Amino acid sequence: MRITSQAMVRSALQNLQANMNRLSELQDKASSQRAINRPSDDPIATASAIRVKGEQRALDQYQRNIDDGNGWMATVESSLASVTQLMNRVRDLTVQGANDGAMSPDAKEAIAVELESLRDELLAKANSTYQGRTVFAGNSDAGVAFDAVPPYGFSGTASDSVQRRIDANTTVRVDADGSSVFGTGTDPESDEVSVFALIDTIAAELRAGVNVSERIAQIDTRMGAIREQQAVVGARQAQLQHAEETNMDRSVSLEAQRSGIEDVDLARVILDLQVQQNTYQAALAVTSRVLQPTLMDFLR
Amino acid sequence: MSTFSGINTAYSALVAARAGIDVVGQNVANVNTEGYTRQRLSTSSIGPADAVGLFSGGVSAGLGVSIDGIARLGNVYLDARVRTASATAGYLQVRSEAMRTLEDSLGEPGSGGLSAQLQEFWAAWQDLSNHAGEPTAEALLLAQAGVLTDRIHGLYQAAESQWSEVRSRLGSMIGELNDAAARVADLNARIRKTVATGGSINELLDQRELLTTTIASLTGGTVRDLGDGTVEVLIGGNAIVSGDSARQLRIVGATELAGAAGAPVQVEWSNRPGHPVALDGGSIAGAIAMLAPADGTGTGGAIAEAAAAYDDFAARLADQVNTVHRNGATTGGDTGLDFFEFSAGLPPALGITVKPVDGSGIAAGAAGSGPRDGSIADALAGLGVGPDSLDDSWAAFVSKIGVAARTELQQSGLAQTASAAAGSAKLSSASVSMDEESVSLMTYQIAYQGAARVLSAIDEILDTLINRTGMVGR
Repeated sequence: MRITSQAMVRSALQNLQANMNRLSELQDKASSQRAINRPSDDPIATASAIRVKGEQRALDQYQRNIDDGNGWMATVESSLASVTQLMNRVRDLTVQGANDGAMSPDAKEAIAVELESLRDELLAKANSTYQGRTVFAGNSDAGVAFDAVPPYGFSGTASDSVQRRIDANTTVRVDADGSSVFGTGTDPESDEVSVFALIDTIAAELRAGVNVSERIAQIDTRMGAIREQQAVVGARQAQLQHAEETNMDRSVSLEAQRSGIEDVDLARVILDLQVQQNTYQAALAVTSRVLQPTLMDFLR
Repeated sequence: MSTFSGINTAYSALVAARAGIDVVGQNVANVNTEGYTRQRLSTSSIGPADAVGLFSGGVSAGLGVSIDGIARLGNVYLDARVRTASATAGYLQVRSEAMRTLEDSLGEPGSGGLSAQLQEFWAAWQDLSNHAGEPTAEALLLAQAGVLTDRIHGLYQAAESQWSEVRSRLGSMIGELNDAAARVADLNARIRKTVATGGSINELLDQRELLTTTIASLTGGTVRDLGDGTVEVLIGGNAIVSGDSARQLRIVGATELAGAAGAPVQVEWSNRPGHPVALDGGSIAGAIAMLAPADGTGTGGAIAEAAAAYDDFAARLADQVNTVHRNGATTGGDTGLDFFEFSAGLPPALGITVKPVDGSGIAAGAAGSGPRDGSIADALAGLGVGPDSLDDSWAAFVSKIGVAARTELQQSGLAQTASAAAGSAKLSSASVSMDEESVSLMTYQIAYQGAARVLSAIDEILDTLINRTGMVGR
């Protein structure tokens, strides 16, 4: 076959160009640390990368939801714990007040006053907020769950609940229903009577000299409802904690997937890059030697 | 046999050797000229004169060398191969470049891509669900929705400007084609005239060869030799150049993506409006294929198909979000509100905008579930999850573009290789080799020296005959 210097120059250029191309691809990979820089590099892996990143973003968001839910739950839980203590004290005072044989009206008045201050403390606990939201009044925006004055109106709706999404299919309730914890009734004889109205009734009866031993049972009923809510809140907290752990595991495995799809195998890329650089330099050196001489150099 | 016949023979040899050196000079001078085909002096020997007359008889040597012409050492088959290969390569190169631009405009996979913005958008709804009715969360959602719609607008605008860019490139390609056709016709005329007057047409042929290769890489046009030195260039079976006349092509159809469906871009003969030219390949065919309107089945022009996919995405996004959003209630209790709306008279991908301007237009909660309810926002965030979600269909679209781009790039690479192989085969046969020319130069030089030696030998003989004959013993 006939070979001319022009044909040689052309093919040398093409080969150098191809070498440069491969070098630049490898350099792209090595410097960006990404195996896929555009969809055509690996169309299937691109789609997988988009999906995995979507899942990662969703998982991050679930984690934020869980953190927020934990804040709510912690507020609810500490409120309920204080409420239980307060209720214990209310019960002690009521039992004390029920022994009215040996008690002067002054002593009863002292009990009634303490009961009223306990009622105010209970009200404050019932109106606990987390980031400006009342944790016992569902989705209400009234600012308080229970009015501070009789008949202690409840601003929430029993059926409303505050939910936090912890994964694609599950939501967890993070508030507590104020109406079932504290009661909303105004009739002092019913079991549904609100704890505030009940305490008011007990204080009034103490002052009026009526025996309050009947009320102990009502207090017990209310304390039962509070403990029930505490148990429910505890169970939900456990659920959140479990979801957090699951999310953590899932996030690790998703990150491994993403890295497997997107990240370059650094050792291999660097090795390839080194090999390619050597090839390119060799090509340059050979080309410069081959292209120079012609017969002109040797004739005179 | 004449006394001086040898002198004439030597003279013809001197002239031939000089002519040979001239041709070598021309070759060496054009060693780097694009499209130059090497030339050779073709000579033939002149036989002895016919023996007639009284004193004829015996054998006599020939009368020297005749210069027959300067041959152009081209190879029509290699030339045809170069044209065919460059037509395919031109077609595929335009397509692969357009696909590369298209896939780069997606910005996937990366934080600037639509998928990332979409994920942020769903997450913003989830945040709003956690903090329903809070101005910060509402403002964040509206900002993120704005970023998302901007990204959709940006994608559509990128498709639009890419379409316009290909369209204007098509214009300059047609200009180049018409110019080349006119010059081929002009060269045809000059070649016919030069042939008639017996001149050398080698350089004209080189120029014409370059131009027909240009036409082939633009349109896939084929070349037919008409026998009188002129050629005919055919596009889709019709002659764009025939003899010394050339016809013109022109583009008709939309100049913007928006009008592409109504008036598809096509190329037609200037003198026959309404009849599109059937192109056999070449970059013009590639550009027209990229400019084709979307056909609803995904097999139309890639740019218009991408724009249609953006439209479809915007329409589905608005539909899915609005359907859920309408069920929700704002903190003020309003229901039945849309979240996305479309500006009239614009394609969906360009016209999609966020309707609420502040939190009062965002329906994050279910009606009757309290003003701080976030269940509708949560349901909206859930649109991003699931087998038929927008995220999934977007990922599938990106993957589809990736596959198409990969295929085009591979095909284009192969076609480039084939074209380069054809080009270097042609170069191997047609380009000037310095070694060869050096040897030729040496040969002609020696031939010249030989002829000069013959001449001086004859000169000496004649000197002996004329000046020294009859001088014996003097």
